Amino acid sequence: MKFFYAICVVLNLHLLHCLTFAQRDLEPNQDVYTIEGRVFPPDGPISANSWYSQTRILANGGEFVGILKRDNSFIIHNVPTGSYVVEVVNPSYAYEPVRVEINSKGKLRARKVNYIQTSTVEPVVYPLAMTPVTRYRYFQVREQWRATDFLYSPMVLMMVLPLVIIMILPKVMNDPETRKEMEHLNSLTRYDMPEMSEVLTSFFGGEKPKVKSARKKKAQ
Amino acid sequence: MMTKGRIMFVLPLQVFFIFLGIITGSNCIYEDQVGKFDWHQSYIGALKFAYGDASGKRGIVATESNVVAALNLKTGNILWRQILEKEPLGKILYLSPSSGSEAVVVSGGSKPLVRAFDTINGALGFEWPLPGELNLDKVIWAISTDKLYAVSVNNGVDFVVNQFSLRSGSQTGKWQHNAPWAHKSKCVISRDLVICYSGKEIHSVRFSQKDAKAFTLELHQQIVNIRSVKSGEKPGVFLDFAENGSEQSHQVVLLPEQGQSIVKCKLMPYSAHWVLSDPNHEAVSVVQLILKNKVLEVVTTDCMSGKKIEESSSAFPFTISASLPQLEDVICGSRNDLSLCRLLVHTEEESIALLHSSGKQLWVREESLASISVVEMMDLPVSDKDAAIEKEFDNKEAGLLGMFGRRLVSQTLQFQQLLQTVFGISDPIQPAGQRTDLVRDDFGLHKMIVVATKAGKLFGLDNLNGEIVWQKMLTNVDTSSMQLFVQRTTRHGPYPAQCSLLLKDKVSNESVLYTFDPITGVGLKKNLGYRVLQAMLLSVMDEESLRPILLLDSEEKVYIEPQTAISLADSFAASTYMYVANTDTGIMNGYTLAQSTGERLVASKVWDVVFNPETQTLVNIVGKSPQERVHSQGRVLGDRSVLYKYVNPNLIAVVTQGTDPLHKYVLNVYLLDAVSGAVIFSISHKRAREPIHLVHTENWVVYTYFSEKWRRTEITAIELYEGKTQSNSGAFSSLLSPVNPLVERQSYILPAMVQSMTPTVTEKGITSRHLLVGLASGAVLELPWMFVDPRRPVTVTPEMREEGVIPYMPELPIPTESIINYNKSLPQINGIHAAPSGLESTSLVLVYGLDLFYTRVAPSKTFDVLKEDFDPFLISMVLVGLGLASYTTKRLASRKALKQAWK
Repeated sequence: MKFFYAICVVLNLHLLHCLTFAQRDLEPNQDVYTIEGRVFPPDGPISANSWYSQTRILANGGEFVGILKRDNSFIIHNVPTGSYVVEVVNPSYAYEPVRVEINSKGKLRARKVNYIQTSTVEPVVYPLAMTPVTRYRYFQVREQWRATDFLYSPMVLMMVLPLVIIMILPKVMNDPETRKEMEHLNSLTRYDMPEMSEVLTSFFGGEKPKVKSARKKKAQ
Repeated sequence: MMTKGRIMFVLPLQVFFIFLGIITGSNCIYEDQVGKFDWHQSYIGALKFAYGDASGKRGIVATESNVVAALNLKTGNILWRQILEKEPLGKILYLSPSSGSEAVVVSGGSKPLVRAFDTINGALGFEWPLPGELNLDKVIWAISTDKLYAVSVNNGVDFVVNQFSLRSGSQTGKWQHNAPWAHKSKCVISRDLVICYSGKEIHSVRFSQKDAKAFTLELHQQIVNIRSVKSGEKPGVFLDFAENGSEQSHQVVLLPEQGQSIVKCKLMPYSAHWVLSDPNHEAVSVVQLILKNKVLEVVTTDCMSGKKIEESSSAFPFTISASLPQLEDVICGSRNDLSLCRLLVHTEEESIALLHSSGKQLWVREESLASISVVEMMDLPVSDKDAAIEKEFDNKEAGLLGMFGRRLVSQTLQFQQLLQTVFGISDPIQPAGQRTDLVRDDFGLHKMIVVATKAGKLFGLDNLNGEIVWQKMLTNVDTSSMQLFVQRTTRHGPYPAQCSLLLKDKVSNESVLYTFDPITGVGLKKNLGYRVLQAMLLSVMDEESLRPILLLDSEEKVYIEPQTAISLADSFAASTYMYVANTDTGIMNGYTLAQSTGERLVASKVWDVVFNPETQTLVNIVGKSPQERVHSQGRVLGDRSVLYKYVNPNLIAVVTQGTDPLHKYVLNVYLLDAVSGAVIFSISHKRAREPIHLVHTENWVVYTYFSEKWRRTEITAIELYEGKTQSNSGAFSSLLSPVNPLVERQSYILPAMVQSMTPTVTEKGITSRHLLVGLASGAVLELPWMFVDPRRPVTVTPEMREEGVIPYMPELPIPTESIINYNKSLPQINGIHAAPSGLESTSLVLVYGLDLFYTRVAPSKTFDVLKEDFDPFLISMVLVGLGLASYTTKRLASRKALKQAWK
């Protein structure tokens, strides 16, 4: 049987430079429009240094970019007719994206982004008002130290349980009252399944075995 | 009974737990782990324009990567960074300070935008679009007194000046100057003069005035190059004259402004780069940079006399570049004395540096790391101690006595080392300049990241902290297509590891192979003398544990590197196949080496597939990684039967983008067997267009595209199965191929734009695979394969639940806990590289693009590592405690028994 080796097939060199997709340029006499809006910063103090440079306004994932002005407004220039998802990208705060549609006459309409039911129109105010929805939570919260967790951990249980069994149980057993109670319990829980030998002896020998068993109990 | 009951309780919930585990982020980290396993480096790209702002604290830069940024001149760190659109819309054409403290940037393709950035925090001051009728190839930009000028040069005719108000963007004037001598490549702007040269003459016109007269100055030599003077009080030019014999001379000419006289400096043997002029005195001095034998001389000469001014000249070692750096700005604080200045330079290697004129190198930024093309992660070599042990077992012919002797020697060596470490004596013999910590660790987590950048520079980075271990610049190479081959890993001591980088010569366009040691970066460049069409690593190793590279040139000849491996290649020739795709003609050819003779390798064509270029263009071809391992042969179904995977290592995925009059864009994906040329499966999506990103591993293909119809990004998964029986459990053969595979497929909505996508890779392939998806928002999402599983059912049957498949949902969630780079946004992601570590659970990830981000991911959690909160101290305490307790209780019990006996 002849096996054919797996060959390693790699990208042809000709292809490599075709992989980066060049973005389409605007045509010089194409009609272009602007998308305007305002980003509301989150409540509380924010560092102006990082706020302006880390908050980016992207239309269609960076095909067109808007930059925040000092008054937190933005204008995306040179946008041709089409449909755009405008999103505010900030590493710490989440903003809801908005779909902006520009028709061939230059009329703008803003609506909520709905990727599943793409035809439903829920209008949003235009010029866009982007408000922060929530703060991103990137991290898992570490569990706090709690006494119960510590107590229930297998290590501690291993230490404590034998201690209980060894030290406390015999003491409890020594107490006559509890001992009586225990015995009582024992007699209650005892299965009333007579031993086969006992059954046989009682059948053949009458009274004797009962005394024997009673003596046994005393010895215990 | 108890345990059984518990299992019974767990089983139905199993699926639920798996689902819950994914949702609650099995792959997220704790806040205190930030920076523990990951690092992030921010870059700006190759410098295009730069200046030091008025405060002398910030350097404002604009780069080839469409970034405008401010650098802290003290440390070189980025103060703020604004990323513009991709090319061509974001291409930066001009940067200049405005009269306020703003940086004005002109960027764009056919319709440029003018933006002003606040130099302190990067906020936008103003933004306005320029009219579309400007021909940008002809335009030279200038800013003068709150006006932006676009001077468009009509070669040999005239130049047209468009004047705009800088703040409002309104056009305030348009006029033209007749200039039969003007030529775009021979003209520069200095202050408000357009200065051009033609032959021996220089011409200048004040473009800001409507009817300014041209001024001509004749010099005595032929001019070959002109650069503008950006500093000083007067406009001027640096001129390079034609070579006269072997000598080239240079001159600085300052032109008159408001009735002043022309300043013609003395001819100099080296070209000047900067002009220092004292406003109080008429004295003008020029700065020259001269690089000789890795020593950079900064020479200041008096303009008129040509004498060197010793007190403000210096010379210092300069190692970051082999060629003369380009001087971007001289930042002098308050005084114009060069001895207290800092020089902002950038080099051919795309590094930016700030030099103090006294000779201190204040900082260097390696900006070529912003344009990485290929990445490979290499294991580090074993330490000398381990190498000695390995050596001991290496030589098997030594005989019993010899082996015993060597054993003794190595034992004494180990004992010696132990003593040394115990008594704190460090190793006395340390090779100079080499780092000692670059040795393999127990878990294989410490690696060397080898990267090659578009500038032609190679780097070796330490993966634990991102430090540059070595760097190497390749000159005169065309880096538009590069391939990196790992010919020998570090596991084959005593031979060093070896990598090869295949690229092209800039002049002859013939292929060049740079072979180097990935740990030290030392290597050799070899011109191959032919144009390589396709290259691949042979799957077998020669006697030196080296895997040779097979190369197919444009004339269908086959070569092998190293050439000594020809007999090895010949012995495997019958089972070696290659393929080549031509994007222009749309033809894919498959070749076999079966007809090779012992002396010569011959490639003969066995198949071709034509993708008609009129209807579709080849966009992408993705094969499987040759290092990939598939651990499980099949998938266990709910009824306990096995569905065997169709694992064809020769399968390639071909993506073509078709144009259709009805549907506009059609996306076709073909799964092709590269050995037989058979199309195994094909699928086409109507109204789907790029960006297309495809991942192809194991028995599945996942790709993303933009659906024009629904205007959203969709992700499609295709899975191939052989069926319930396996055709051949030994090796896969493309020629004895079984029946067509069963195909499962499903599409999902991904509510984001994708920039790059890659699967995680682990050493043995046991760990489940996740997809790492780089998003346009700068996040890198770790998406479990389970989510894109094509077997996710719409209606859940109990069997499916048993199998552990989660029900179908059209939209995939993007939980923030699964974002592996948390709040460290990565703009312009170009690629993600995943490499296995020594731990089966862990995959090492490098995300590259404008920034570098390295981290590790554990798709199935770290099942092979003790938990972080594992406390050996507590455990030993408990053990000791238990031991003590048992001993004491034993004693107590015996005492009690004794007492009882006496009663």
